Amino acid sequence: MSTQAGPPPMVQAANVSKWFGDLVAVSDVSFSIGAGVTALLGPNGAGKSTLLRMMCGLARPSNGMVTVLGKNPRTDVAVLGRIGMAPQQESLLDYLSGREFVELTAQLHQVDNPVEAARQAIQTVELDPDDPRRLSTYSKGMRQRIKLAQAIVHDPLVIALDEPLTGLDPRQRREMIQLFHRLGDEGKCVIVSSHVLDEVERFGSRVLVIAQGRLAAEGDFREIRNLMDDRPLRISIRTDQPRVLATALLENSVISGCRLEGTDCVVVDTTEPAAFRRAVAPMARDRDASLLELRPLDDDLESVFRYLVGQ
Amino acid sequence: MNSHIYRVVVRSQISTGRLLALAGLSGVAILLAFVARAADDPVEVATRSMGTFGTNIFAPFIALALGSAALGNLVEDRTLVYVWLRPVPRHSVATAAFAAVISVVGPIVVAVMTVAAAITGVGDLLVATAVATALAVFAYSGIFLALGLRFKRSLLVGLGYIAIWELLLSRLGDWFARLSVRSYPMSILSDATGVEMRLADRSTLASYVVPLAVGFAGLVYTSWRLSRTEID
Repeated sequence: MSTQAGPPPMVQAANVSKWFGDLVAVSDVSFSIGAGVTALLGPNGAGKSTLLRMMCGLARPSNGMVTVLGKNPRTDVAVLGRIGMAPQQESLLDYLSGREFVELTAQLHQVDNPVEAARQAIQTVELDPDDPRRLSTYSKGMRQRIKLAQAIVHDPLVIALDEPLTGLDPRQRREMIQLFHRLGDEGKCVIVSSHVLDEVERFGSRVLVIAQGRLAAEGDFREIRNLMDDRPLRISIRTDQPRVLATALLENSVISGCRLEGTDCVVVDTTEPAAFRRAVAPMARDRDASLLELRPLDDDLESVFRYLVGQ
Repeated sequence: MNSHIYRVVVRSQISTGRLLALAGLSGVAILLAFVARAADDPVEVATRSMGTFGTNIFAPFIALALGSAALGNLVEDRTLVYVWLRPVPRHSVATAAFAAVISVVGPIVVAVMTVAAAITGVGDLLVATAVATALAVFAYSGIFLALGLRFKRSLLVGLGYIAIWELLLSRLGDWFARLSVRSYPMSILSDATGVEMRLADRSTLASYVVPLAVGFAGLVYTSWRLSRTEID
């Protein structure tokens, strides 16, 4: 299990597993998270939401232990007062207005001035606290933001946000990411899940990569990015001279293997994608070969995660 | 009990469909009362009407519609998280939901049935109907609150319970009848007017204590279930 230097971790998972019947959602995951923004990155169905639910006490680990601020959030009701969560699902208490919804959260958390706290939280997410409309009329982006407002209205120490940027426009995303950083800088533990690689890059934070229920990688985003960039890549090249081009690429050690497909296609494997990209065009030109198409075959997020799991 | 959760649950229970069902069943109760009043033996017909309709149909069906929805709707639309993920003891959440169901279902059903009893003109039936209906509402609200949290299709499960257990199996013998909630409030009506009805032969003490115990048992189960359940 990894530990962060400095202050004690605010959220800790020790050998946590969670299964639903035969389905293993989370498998033997251990980590520690302290103050600041931490991204939980992984494809859909990787187990991110299940992990977040266990961190908030909403689900019981089948094995292992999750603690928040040293307490078990599943059994210690008091520690729930220090947790704020925006779940992934869109559903809200639709018969309430946005202000009533956030006020309710403040009241249940026994905030001193729930009306004012709700007003501030709603303004923080750039919604109108005086909007009398019911939540049922809110757009997807507005629902995301009101969920954020209820997650922060009681000034929690640990904030778990499940795909919070879904449905927001680029400007709102930028604002929200700034808000996450501000909260992190204030010493709060902000855990944000996402399946979008570029989105997580913009968090510029510590990353836990979850794939197939396992912790595939963790660390600073740049380290993860480098790890991803170094992975072998399979590329399909369509050219009028596939045999000639493949031979040249092999001779120059730009690729580690190749396979001819049909009369105008060669599929190559490379462990140096950057070098390959630099070399392929000049080599084709030198041999009078026309490059018709270059297509990465495993550049989707799933394959990136599969690679990381294998590492 | 948490007053904020109480208010939210009360608000969530008010829907056009439920109000229409309530109005429809109230109309039937009043109609039956006029029929009983005009009958040759108004005491017998009124007692049977109040028992059969009030405690066997009106109270359980309205308690089912609102009780199963109180927490069940939050589970179904995945919004229970907004109530559960708060530093509020689980028994306080359960009590608030139970109080919300009772305070909506109780006054309406009891008031309608008491007015219906008054219309029949059978004086002995007035207080007995109010008490019997109130106890039936208490017991059924506890059962259906728990059912709403336990089962995904709680409305169907509840309908099955009323139809199979309360209306069919309870007729199979005394042992089954003792496990039927409706036999207890019906016994109160039977005691008040002296009209003998099938199933209505519970002791006076049991007629009062069992519905209260059933309601509380539902509440206790709901609290326990809330502390054990995994929130989606």
